[in-house]
Amino acid sequence: MVSVKFASVTKVLGESRAIDNLTLDIGAGELFFLLGPSGCGKTTALRLVAGFYTPDEGQIVFDGRDQTRVPPHKRSTGMVFQNYALWPHMDVRHNIAYGLKMRRVSEAEREKRVNRALEIVQMQAYAERMPNQLSGGQQQRVALARALVIEPDVVLLDEPLSNLDAKLRVEMRTQIKDIHRQIGRTMIYVTHDQAEALSMADRIVVMRRGQLVQVGTPHELYTRPESAFVAEFIGGTNLLPGTLEEVGELLLVKTQVGIVRAKYAVKGLTRGEPVFCSVRPESLRLRPAEAPTRIAPSDGINELSGAVQSVMYLGDNEQYSLRLADGVTLRAVEYNPTATKAGVGDRVGLQFDARDVVVLRQEELGD
Amino acid sequence: MTSWLRRYDLNRANAAVLIFLWLFFIVFMLYPLCYVFSNAFFTSEGFSLVFMKLMFSSPNYTTILANSVNLGLAVTLFTTLLSLPLAFLLVRYHFPGRGLLNGLILIPMVLPPFVGAIGMRQLLARFGSVNLLLLETGVINQPIDWLGGGSFWSVVILEVLHLYPIMYLNLAAALANVDPSLEEAAKNLGASGFKLFRTVTFPLMLPGYFAGAVIVFIWAFTDLGTPLVFEYREVIAVQIFNMVTDLHQNPMGYTFVVAVIALTLFFFYLSKRLMGGGRYEMMGRGHVTSAVRPASASLTVIAYAVVLSISALALIPHLGVFLTSVTSRWFFSVLPSEYTLRFYQDVFSHDLTLLSIKNSLLLSTLSTIVDVVLGVTIAYFLSRKRVPGRDVLDALAMLPLALPGLVLAFGYVAAFSATPLDARINPVPLLVIAYAVRRLPYMVRAAYAGFQQTSVALEEAAMNLGASPIKALYQITLPLVFANLIAGAVLCFSFAMLEVSDSLILALKEPYYPITKAIYSLLGRIADGPYIASAMGMLGLLLLAGSLFIAGRFFGRRMGELFRA
Repeated sequence: MVSVKFASVTKVLGESRAIDNLTLDIGAGELFFLLGPSGCGKTTALRLVAGFYTPDEGQIVFDGRDQTRVPPHKRSTGMVFQNYALWPHMDVRHNIAYGLKMRRVSEAEREKRVNRALEIVQMQAYAERMPNQLSGGQQQRVALARALVIEPDVVLLDEPLSNLDAKLRVEMRTQIKDIHRQIGRTMIYVTHDQAEALSMADRIVVMRRGQLVQVGTPHELYTRPESAFVAEFIGGTNLLPGTLEEVGELLLVKTQVGIVRAKYAVKGLTRGEPVFCSVRPESLRLRPAEAPTRIAPSDGINELSGAVQSVMYLGDNEQYSLRLADGVTLRAVEYNPTATKAGVGDRVGLQFDARDVVVLRQEELGD
Repeated sequence: MTSWLRRYDLNRANAAVLIFLWLFFIVFMLYPLCYVFSNAFFTSEGFSLVFMKLMFSSPNYTTILANSVNLGLAVTLFTTLLSLPLAFLLVRYHFPGRGLLNGLILIPMVLPPFVGAIGMRQLLARFGSVNLLLLETGVINQPIDWLGGGSFWSVVILEVLHLYPIMYLNLAAALANVDPSLEEAAKNLGASGFKLFRTVTFPLMLPGYFAGAVIVFIWAFTDLGTPLVFEYREVIAVQIFNMVTDLHQNPMGYTFVVAVIALTLFFFYLSKRLMGGGRYEMMGRGHVTSAVRPASASLTVIAYAVVLSISALALIPHLGVFLTSVTSRWFFSVLPSEYTLRFYQDVFSHDLTLLSIKNSLLLSTLSTIVDVVLGVTIAYFLSRKRVPGRDVLDALAMLPLALPGLVLAFGYVAAFSATPLDARINPVPLLVIAYAVRRLPYMVRAAYAGFQQTSVALEEAAMNLGASPIKALYQITLPLVFANLIAGAVLCFSFAMLEVSDSLILALKEPYYPITKAIYSLLGRIADGPYIASAMGMLGLLLLAGSLFIAGRFFGRRMGELFRA
């Protein structure tokens, strides 16, 4: 198992800094995700690890060994390409055996390892097929087997599931995670699909404009986003703009719709600073408007009211769009909706716990 | 490393190859052109426009210029008129045998028009088949002098019949590229029939059309073989050919070549201007409905009638060549009265012909090797590497498409005289290079298309698994583009075998004559010359037909892309 380190890496592609002073430590044996919107530099980062790009500044280090100037074919990485990049003139077996041939592995040993790899990805029956005779999902497994069979220090996966249909994608998540557990190698996985990252990762780095935004476990990123960008990109959120009034056990933020109480905040906020209150849609509870409960401010429960603008029924959940005073719009989600709580135009009350509110610095959003 | 260098994929090996490529183009393309220009504009007294003035003031020369331009324009016009309905019928309608007719249209490409001219001469002679047929059937009672004063039109007809497939390939590709939804949008808004064609379809086809038109124009404008055989000497190409022999006494040759270049550039520019400068990028690359409709029975009959009659017309010269090649007695009769295969035997026993076949095989093989090596290298750099001067390299590799063979050959003879490469002493090196340079664009395009279709990720996957860059290229990319390389090489080889202007101009000594020059010199021999020449022409025809068939197999519908400017 090998750790991977980006040490102040910068890579300029064309006019833009595709990677901008990135420092990142990926632990040995981790299933590590690079997550971000398209153009954020995550694929560039992966290609820097593979050696297809050389950093303009900084180093790429595997387990303390500087790899910065090592050409791709002398690094021990196994990459799964987004379009799989299976060689159309070789059958499945030859595709998988290629890396072993390059390493001058004996024929008997090669045979054994190729079969083992085919077994891991459950493709034993397809060894003699040509790539164009395989479905997308099967091609994906062959690409995976081809990368794993050489037992690389690091497995690199570049949006490996993006070309599969939704159902297969969910199945493959489990399989890849199982394979990671079986082989116990460091895996770096690039995706723009936050659900994929949340469901599979040991740790995730969220990237934006070539820079690191936040690193953490899926749970940390979801519950304690450190920026509006992360809160919005992972899971989606409501951002209520306001001014920070008080900092204490609970934070008080003055918004257009009244004071919002919050339990968590990013570090270093000062009183009077413009902030966002981030509240996940599923934290909002809808109540009938005519039955307001009076809650003392110290209870840490926030209460607002508004009118239902639209309702979207999705089976397992129901999504409401609510218009509050002064044109502020909030999204709320009810899971397991047995009966619609309110119709379009109805006035409703909204409750949410201060523990579900994170106060974030104001910033511009978008990629 | 400075930052601008870092933008490129340059290492020592890449840089060395690039420098070699640049040197090649400078020595074998730019230098001869500059040499011609300097001789046209500089006399011993310095810069002078006296020859230019002479060219545009002497009525003799202006007639020659006008003849050549008229020839180019007439051929372009008639190929367009011939090809447009063909393209429409075959691209837009589906009917049984469409593929067959499509192949039939391409057949006339397989014969250099100057060989066809030999056949035509036989058929159109004063007492040739056509006149005799007309006399016998009583249509005329005096033989018509087809080849006399009107030989301009003989040249036009022969070139039209040879070149319309190239126009067709371009028009068909352009038409197939027109997004049917754009036409549907026009129909939806009320356009139909000719109005639809004029306002939407044809404007969208224009870039493809002009690309083909320029090729056809330049081909006809600078064709040397056909006018030579028809003895139509009042065109630039023949004049330049005649002036090669007295280069040092008469600088008008240089001036003519400069005029050819200038006019060529002018027509290139004109075609780009007429294209509107803008590109019509087709939007909505998604799933579009097909514009191909099944043809009604009557339309199918029309399609067959049109294609078959045009092909029949286009095959007349070939028929003439064939008949001439197997004739032992053909005198005052529509068809030969006695047949023989003697001339085919002669081809393989006669010194001149046998030697010329050997020469052509050698020259074409060497030039094809040069093409493959240069073409693959250039295409690889263009498609895979960021290198300084990429666009210039691209332009240089494509320049021979616009550069008439005549110009290059003339430049070679002039620029390399009294050097170790002097064509008067041993023309082999220059012939090889001339053949190679002329066909380089086809090879570059064929290889480039292959590289473009082969994702870089395939090579990267190999490197990722431990293959060095060179190994990845050899084991992954080259096998995948092999079909393209073969097709490109086959085209280069067969075109080199039947290359006319380079061979006529550069092969200055009989021991070095390639096939085409041997055919030309045989024509001058009274007795059996034309017959042996025709037999050789037939063999060449078979070679080119086979090659185009093979190349077509590899390229399929994209064949037209090779014949564009």
